[in-house]
Amino acid sequence: MDTIISFFQDNFWALLVVKLIAIAGLIPVSGLLIGFGELKLSAKMQSRVGPYFAGGRWGWAQLLADGIKFIQKEDIIPADADRQVFRWAPALVMLSTVGLFVVIPFWPGGIVQDLDVGIFYALAISSLSTIGVLMAGWSSANKYSLMGGLRAAGQLIAYELPMVLAVIGVVIMAGTMSLGGIVEAQRSFAIFGLETGLVISPFFFAQILGFVIFFIASLAEMSRIPFDMPIAESELVTGFLTEYSGFRFLFFFLAEFANMFTMSAIAVTLFLGGYLGPGIEQFPFLGPVYLASKVAVLVFFMIWFRWTFPRFREDQLQNLAWKWLVPLGLLNIVVTGIFKVVA
Amino acid sequence: MTTSPSETTDTGAGSFADWVGEVASAVGSEDWSADHGTAKVMVAADAWHAALSTAKLELGLVFFSYLSAIDWANDVAVGDPPAEPVDERYEVLAGVADLAEGRIVHFSTTLPKDGASLPSITDVYAGANWHEREATEMFDIAFEGHPNPVKLYLPDAFEGHPLQKTYPLLSREVKPWPGTVDVEPMPEVADPEAPSTENPEA
Amino acid sequence: MTIDHDTLRHLSDASVAVELETEDMTLNIGPQHPSTHGVLRLVAKVDGERARDVQPAIGYMHRGYEKLAEVRTYPQITAFINRIDWVSGYANEVPFIAAAEKLMEIEVPERAQYIRLILTEMARIASHMIFMASYPLELGAATPLFFALRDRERVLDLLESVTGGRFHPNFNRIGGVKPAAGAGPTQKKASQDLPKGFLAGTHDAMDKLLATCDELESLIAGNEIFQARTKGIGVLPGEIAADFGVSGPNLRASGIAFDLRRHTDFLPYDQFEFDVPTGRNGDCWDRWWVRLEEIRQAARIIQQAVDAIPSGALQAKVPKIIKVPKGEVYVRAENPKGEMGYYLVSEGGQGPYRLKIRSASFSNISILPWILEGVLVPDIIAILGSLDFVLGDVDR
Repeated sequence: MDTIISFFQDNFWALLVVKLIAIAGLIPVSGLLIGFGELKLSAKMQSRVGPYFAGGRWGWAQLLADGIKFIQKEDIIPADADRQVFRWAPALVMLSTVGLFVVIPFWPGGIVQDLDVGIFYALAISSLSTIGVLMAGWSSANKYSLMGGLRAAGQLIAYELPMVLAVIGVVIMAGTMSLGGIVEAQRSFAIFGLETGLVISPFFFAQILGFVIFFIASLAEMSRIPFDMPIAESELVTGFLTEYSGFRFLFFFLAEFANMFTMSAIAVTLFLGGYLGPGIEQFPFLGPVYLASKVAVLVFFMIWFRWTFPRFREDQLQNLAWKWLVPLGLLNIVVTGIFKVVA
Repeated sequence: MTTSPSETTDTGAGSFADWVGEVASAVGSEDWSADHGTAKVMVAADAWHAALSTAKLELGLVFFSYLSAIDWANDVAVGDPPAEPVDERYEVLAGVADLAEGRIVHFSTTLPKDGASLPSITDVYAGANWHEREATEMFDIAFEGHPNPVKLYLPDAFEGHPLQKTYPLLSREVKPWPGTVDVEPMPEVADPEAPSTENPEA
Repeated sequence: MTIDHDTLRHLSDASVAVELETEDMTLNIGPQHPSTHGVLRLVAKVDGERARDVQPAIGYMHRGYEKLAEVRTYPQITAFINRIDWVSGYANEVPFIAAAEKLMEIEVPERAQYIRLILTEMARIASHMIFMASYPLELGAATPLFFALRDRERVLDLLESVTGGRFHPNFNRIGGVKPAAGAGPTQKKASQDLPKGFLAGTHDAMDKLLATCDELESLIAGNEIFQARTKGIGVLPGEIAADFGVSGPNLRASGIAFDLRRHTDFLPYDQFEFDVPTGRNGDCWDRWWVRLEEIRQAARIIQQAVDAIPSGALQAKVPKIIKVPKGEVYVRAENPKGEMGYYLVSEGGQGPYRLKIRSASFSNISILPWILEGVLVPDIIAILGSLDFVLGDVDR
């Protein structure tokens, strides 16, 4: 047993293969679980039952059945579409989601690659999806898609900035950009002698403004209601997704749910203590459990907002980003910096 | 308070009929009727535009309700012909109302069947636009001065004017109008001995 | 405010020539589209996100009602007339029947009038509930749909228990309402035709409905995003609305307190107390709010009517074969969508010589070219939804 573990720990390539397999497995699982949660939670909020027949009376097999259905559909590309760009757009969006899994810490030391510039890398990779969305909108040769794509570009660019500003506050407090380091920095703070860093970190209280800004900006990055102008079902049919069917649509679909997981995981890592919790020292395997439960809380809020609010109009959305979130983010940095120097 | 239709016209008939008479004289017409609570004022075709302008600007009838036409014909391809022979003509109706008391006046004018044409009233009531387009395509009545006299409902390539009495309904060509057909008598008539199927008290 | 008629006439119907243009994009909204309430097609010239010139193309649902009415007898027409505005089925039948009754000079028994009034107000609730469900959905909020439709089901169940049909009741007869099965067209005694428990059940249903109205108000009205999407959008001044023939809640939202229910003589509205909600600005918010209040007022009327319904015959004595004497009459009523009128020309036959149907939605959407000039694309959807039209009503 020990030899096997040490073999994997010493051999870089073997470890890499294991990590890749784990990530490849985690993406669909997280996507499916969160998707299923969305179906059932939205049903509860609307006094209906949700998936019921697929897989016993719980309907757990609904998304699996949907996935299989999508895979076996005909691959339709519109005649006027730009074929290569059309094909690569979903891949780029999925790539930006997958790339985020690389820097999420699951347990102490359990991170695929603890980059020194972890959070910088995370933000950069997540903004790749903007290009994918633009590609999808442009190549579909459909006016609705084009409008959706352009709206998406404007929205995603506008909300990158608040996200970055919110993160800077955390980086100042933690003193490092690596995500593993940020989580560890949340461990040893104590308020009134209590080790609160283990469940809800002081970063949450100190950076509450940053957390709110980051959460709102991440909703906009994922094009979820109230920020789903790019998709805007009732106006643009499905916006930039209109011409996608079958497996390509599944890519976008899965990418959206997996993105919910990764964005929430990043938010949890930055503000809520990541994998920290009581007993983390003795039982490192509790790390993913704590991470998953905190992520579940944030995902619940995302789902709740989606089914309650109408959507913002594009200019109201831009208003919110530039006139409210960016100044608040700057204020947050200034205040954090002052406290860091003084205290 | 049960109001029967005839009661309404009787008790209010005095003031209602007076009011219709006033409207008619304001637009310079002697021909009007107030039967069945419906105020109808007949004007000549060349006084049409002036009458409706007066109605809007002086009589306070600012609400534009509808504009349509009736095709009076003796040879009909659908339905029954009129009870007695009538003069063959188009009668154009426009309903305008006030917003204070909810009284509506129907202005009516007569046009000959061939080359029926009337000045458009879209410069008086903007809402007449679509109604006039509909009358054009359904009855073949031209409205001079209409800003956009293209078809409204029917496809561009449609030929014919459906609401004219001479326009047939194809299904009635295939199988003629059966008249009144009592397919099945009411249960009481069919079997007087059958028990009543009334519902108990609500 | 003076109306510039030249501009109005130009804007109310500019031509739809499709030219090769390099600046504006011509966007076709519909006829198959999630938000156009049916098969309405809007040809919009769009400059970025702003619409320059929007022309509605209607007629996809034209069924030729007026031509059809010339070859049908009056009872046969009653069977299909409720399909004009299909979300408020019952309300379409009443003015038509009242027109025929006026020409025949028949007195409708009181009980029948009360039943007609109750069912018309239920149709109003049904129609406005569809609006409550679909309008927030068009703006992105998916949840009010389920609450509003749940309450619409209550009303539809009541309608079904009385008339046998949810959407197309076909419940009127010349002279009254449909008598109990087996009693035939003449009443030997006063028979209680309403099903057992209907009156009490209606009272309860209205209480629950009022509670849901409060729920909907707190869910939607207080929501800042909803307010930002609807306040100040699509302002329709009262004068322009009257000029175009816009009626119903759209007209009342523009500040003109005109309700045909106060001027209707064939239904006993003057026996009941109710308010006429009137908006102030004529924007989308006001149109939404007026309809919410109208649901409440309709529930109030129904409760009063149910408490005060008299006993009596359900139908006046009419001959077996209905022939309406020669004459012309116009009857207008306050339908949920606006003013619905029937101009009936009778030549003494078993069917009309000419039936002109004045439908509310036709005039309501004739303002689209005017009101959609220069608005943003998302606002097109917001304004379209707030006008609450149904294509069957537009195209007949």
